[in-house]
Amino acid sequence: MTTEETTQPVADFSGTIWAEVDRALSGVTVRPERGLIDVIAHIPRDEVVTALRRLKTDAALHFDYLRSLTAIDREADGIEVVYHLYSTDKKHNLTVKTTLPTTDLNVPTATTVWRAANWLERETAEMFGIQFTGHPDPRTLLMPEDMTDVHPLLKSHPLAEIEVLQGEGMGYPEEGA
Amino acid sequence: MVTERAREFDTQDLLINVGPQHPSTHGVFRMVLEIDGELVKDVIPYIGYLHRGAEKLCETMDYRQGIGFMDRTEYLAAFNAELSYVMAVEALAGLEVPERAQWIRMILCELNRISSHFMFMGAFGVDTGVMGTPFIYGWREREGIIDLFEEISGDRMMYAYFRPGGLAWDVTTNFKARVREVLKSITQGIKDFDGLFTENEIFVARTKGVGYISAEDAIDYGMSGPSLRASGVPMDVRQDEPYLKYAEIDFKVITGEHGDVFDRYYCRLQELRESVKIIEQCLAKMPDTGPIMPEKMPRMLRTPPGEVYIRTEAPRGEYGVYLVSNGGNRPYRLKVRSACLSNLQALKQMSVGQYVADAILVLGSIDIVLSEVDR
Repeated sequence: MTTEETTQPVADFSGTIWAEVDRALSGVTVRPERGLIDVIAHIPRDEVVTALRRLKTDAALHFDYLRSLTAIDREADGIEVVYHLYSTDKKHNLTVKTTLPTTDLNVPTATTVWRAANWLERETAEMFGIQFTGHPDPRTLLMPEDMTDVHPLLKSHPLAEIEVLQGEGMGYPEEGA
Repeated sequence: MVTERAREFDTQDLLINVGPQHPSTHGVFRMVLEIDGELVKDVIPYIGYLHRGAEKLCETMDYRQGIGFMDRTEYLAAFNAELSYVMAVEALAGLEVPERAQWIRMILCELNRISSHFMFMGAFGVDTGVMGTPFIYGWREREGIIDLFEEISGDRMMYAYFRPGGLAWDVTTNFKARVREVLKSITQGIKDFDGLFTENEIFVARTKGVGYISAEDAIDYGMSGPSLRASGVPMDVRQDEPYLKYAEIDFKVITGEHGDVFDRYYCRLQELRESVKIIEQCLAKMPDTGPIMPEKMPRMLRTPPGEVYIRTEAPRGEYGVYLVSNGGNRPYRLKVRSACLSNLQALKQMSVGQYVADAILVLGSIDIVLSEVDR
């Protein structure tokens, strides 16, 4: 799925909230991964919003706070949408990820779960060309209103001048060191 | 009560444009107010005027070059912004930061919080209609802190002083004495503002009960920092997930009760005192000598593949850096979680039903920095 596919057969999730998450998400396809700080749960996109809502309403987990919502362009492997969740009273974190194929970039909106997702989704949508279906206000956020065909954070979008300058004038040290 | 009175005078709706260049918008922020007489019926915010694509730029830069961009995302509290970024790189690269460097980082970040809050006090005074005094008072205190920053880092606002692994160079030899000197002036400055605002009947009448937001709404909108704590939610990254040396420090998380403009101001004022307390403890615990960088640092910093989301408590709330690496010497993806962006989302909730003049107060009370919103 990701370029650096974690290949360890059984990761150790002791001391994390994974057991609780697994219980709350019974019936949902979840693949856990142990991140540096937080547990990462990979969920297919048609189940992701259901899962997020369950994570929010579950009494023991109570992920009532959406820290951040963004995406990563993995080029040939599609685009990952990343949700960082937090619980303001239980004080624990979870990262939820869902992968979209590059040919079909849409995912249901999370604004129905947290209102915080509204602007974050608008930003992610314009930066990556992802459609958040059911979004109440699908305008651009940071980009000009009429620039809906340019998605700057895609890896295919060039950062022309800087690359040229660094390649020639500034001698950007890529190898060696 | 306000809305009922207004119904008697139902007037034609009017759209007025505030900004993008308007003193009360604290930068280049534009909002369209739909008003009925003096009452705000709807707020449509427009942002993005300061979007420079820092995240994309960082993808093309070496890890150390990215520090400068972080400064420019949050120019009023650049140390706090740098901190999240270098901590993210350190977490991925597995760098151990020497103890002395951690104490210095803490002192500088707290001082930066103080300077940022003083800036807020001054600007907020202007929003409430006091044109001169608080602004000058705020800037006077901030100036002392910024002079100290200049002595240490060589720059007044864009420090680029933290490095993955530690600090760029050691602090000046009279660092502790200078910090104590600045703290003395700050303590007096806090007293001044307490007298100028908190005990000022006009100020209190103007701000109490205005721009209310409930704890549930504030959490749902993803607000953070003093703006959230004013609604009574004791959420502070320094306390909940201590980083640097915050676990060894004794401090109180300030919360408000009413979630109105006054509480958002008053939380910040009390936070100033807490920051002074934190710095005093840091000064007592900080070793006078010792390394500020790990002994062995690679010339070219590379990180193993992986990702990390680092959050720290900046003056305006949670400043998060989500760093994804694919094993190179630059970020594969860098996302800056802006506290102001999320705080700003709740602007509509807080302003609708208020008077136009109060909508300006509400905007001032969440203390936005547009460069952080737009990045």
